[in-house]
Amino acid sequence: MESSSPTKKVRAYMNPYLAGVLLGLVLLAANFISGRGLGASGAVKSVVVTSVVTVNPHAAESSDFIRDYEKGHTGNPMKNWLVFQMMGVILGAFVSGILSGRLSLKTEHGPQTTSKKRLIFAVAGGILFGFGSQLGRGCTSGSALSGLAVMSAGGILTMMAIFGTGYALAYFFRKNWI
Amino acid sequence: MMGPLSVNDIISGDTNFLLAFFIGIAFGFVLEQAGFSSSRRLAGVFYGYDMTVLKVFFTGGITAMTGILLFGLFGWMDLSMVYVNPTFLTSAISGGVIMGAGFILGGYCPGTSFCGAAIGKVDAMVFIGGLFLGVYIWGFGFDLWKDMYVAGNMGSPKIGEWLGISDGLMALAIVVIAFAAFFVSEWVESRMAKSGKEN
Amino acid sequence: MKEELIISGRMNPYVDPTLNIWHWQIPLYLFLGGLAAGILVFAALSYIRGREEAHPWAVKKVPFLAPVLLVAGLACLFFDLNHKLFFWRLYTTVKLQSPMSWGAWVLLVVTPLSIVWSALHIREFFPNWDWKYTWLKEAEKFANKYKLALAWVMLIYSVILGVYTGILFSAFNARPLWNTSILGPLFLASGLSAGAAAIVMFTRSKEERAYFARVDLIIIGIELFLITHMFMGFMASTQVQIEAANLFLGGPYTAPFWIFVVFLGLVVPAILDVLELFDYHVPAIVPSLLVLAGSLMLRFLISFAGQESRYLY
Repeated sequence: MESSSPTKKVRAYMNPYLAGVLLGLVLLAANFISGRGLGASGAVKSVVVTSVVTVNPHAAESSDFIRDYEKGHTGNPMKNWLVFQMMGVILGAFVSGILSGRLSLKTEHGPQTTSKKRLIFAVAGGILFGFGSQLGRGCTSGSALSGLAVMSAGGILTMMAIFGTGYALAYFFRKNWI
Repeated sequence: MMGPLSVNDIISGDTNFLLAFFIGIAFGFVLEQAGFSSSRRLAGVFYGYDMTVLKVFFTGGITAMTGILLFGLFGWMDLSMVYVNPTFLTSAISGGVIMGAGFILGGYCPGTSFCGAAIGKVDAMVFIGGLFLGVYIWGFGFDLWKDMYVAGNMGSPKIGEWLGISDGLMALAIVVIAFAAFFVSEWVESRMAKSGKEN
Repeated sequence: MKEELIISGRMNPYVDPTLNIWHWQIPLYLFLGGLAAGILVFAALSYIRGREEAHPWAVKKVPFLAPVLLVAGLACLFFDLNHKLFFWRLYTTVKLQSPMSWGAWVLLVVTPLSIVWSALHIREFFPNWDWKYTWLKEAEKFANKYKLALAWVMLIYSVILGVYTGILFSAFNARPLWNTSILGPLFLASGLSAGAAAIVMFTRSKEERAYFARVDLIIIGIELFLITHMFMGFMASTQVQIEAANLFLGGPYTAPFWIFVVFLGLVVPAILDVLELFDYHVPAIVPSLLVLAGSLMLRFLISFAGQESRYLY
């Protein structure tokens, strides 16, 4: 094989502005086709609701959380726009990883920390983000990005709160990243 | 043909799910190509060594925003049928604060963590596990924060309505802010690169 | 006086009964049978073509799965029976016009054949295997002597097994979705594709993997062709067939069918196989698992949607 073999080299990331325009077009398509923005945490919620209802239907009936969910949704919680969209996201990212030679099992962490510490912080961050996305009615994609696209006041507030807090806390967690 | 297609019953609800899958593929592909599958790259925005998140996020936001406004102007899309995220003042801010803390700790947000997991990032998979735990905690303790969740309901206002200016003007203002942010982030990146060399 | 108007309309579930008697057992069995058929077809074909050394996994090792899959499939069938103790009645009759009779007899031939084939290659896994009894040793010698004939018989019967999994549906002409002759070749192709995927998943030989990935690509092409023609046939047919097809074209099975069967089960593995041929790094297990899952979903969706499709309007 010649040296141009694509397996050998990891391809560079896309120009951020080009990626942004493409991302915007995807978001526009979602609004044009489905009248809604993109999202991620909603799919997690669907899985959680499904698991709760499956494991303990009686407790689920009396739970306000489940009732609150069922107010806005009918039928099988897995038959949900965001669930299908998230399956696509995983596939799209996977194919992109193959094409760019970025497919590998590894833990990414800053130079001053260990994999173990990184994973503990990742779980903690996940818990906070999972909780916060429910309180804030959507995550960075569903509330901040999609909210910005439709100029929702709440979405833009949430966006400012997310990034503002990130900057405010950045100093305290700098050892994790730089 | 007038959008939104599914709301106007031009496509069935089930076809809408199918198209959601294809939209998701494009979404995941673009996020991964932009480098959002890497937590260090994502966290870079908070330290100035890599401003990709800001650039991609704002470019995406203003592209979609102008697109939606133009589609409405051309009569291709009924803007009154487009979902506008509702505003609950208390939860929008407190939820955002908690998510911001999650971002700096975990290095991902939910969408990007799935991209990272798809290409084998273990920290992303662990982050997803945390997401589920977080939603479970939210669900089981729902009674405790139910009041906070519904407090400050203001309907679904657009940001322009708050400031008393039209959507078009507001959009222009957001585009100007975005370009200013791009300019600043390019400057910060080049400065960081220089100081990196000096060290 | 209070007047009450009672209208018994189509919303009454007893007016238009839907068939809802085939649960998970039948489609799972059809998948297991189709997969076993696919594995055995490739084992026999590669052996007949003298590729035993080039395709060691296809000929000697992967076929060990076949008897396991067939027995598991038979267990599914058994669980589906209402009168479990009367299963033997299937073997008291030979009915050429009944696919169930065909199936019962074909299984009766294929299952022992697959066990014999595995037994012939048992030293692949246990190099020091000893059959202990003389008559077993004699039997092995005998089978080895006629291995080519055995391969031919196995090939023919596994093709019948693969086709029969589809005919089982298409012979049921009371359901418009099933009443298409394309289901036979489609299920055979799907089973072959699953068989090739299983070989790709297990093989340690790079050449063998590349070969069967290519085979899979061709079969996937055939499957896409058959699916397109199945829908073209429905759309060109009577209103009931059009309604049946609409279950997948905007109806409740749209998203699962096109996502899991066509896209994730056929198109994506095909793309991944092509990328692999162009020297990109693709973990072998991913396209293989996608093909297997797609093949399983095809059976489930055709089974469930078929039971919903109907003639009454």
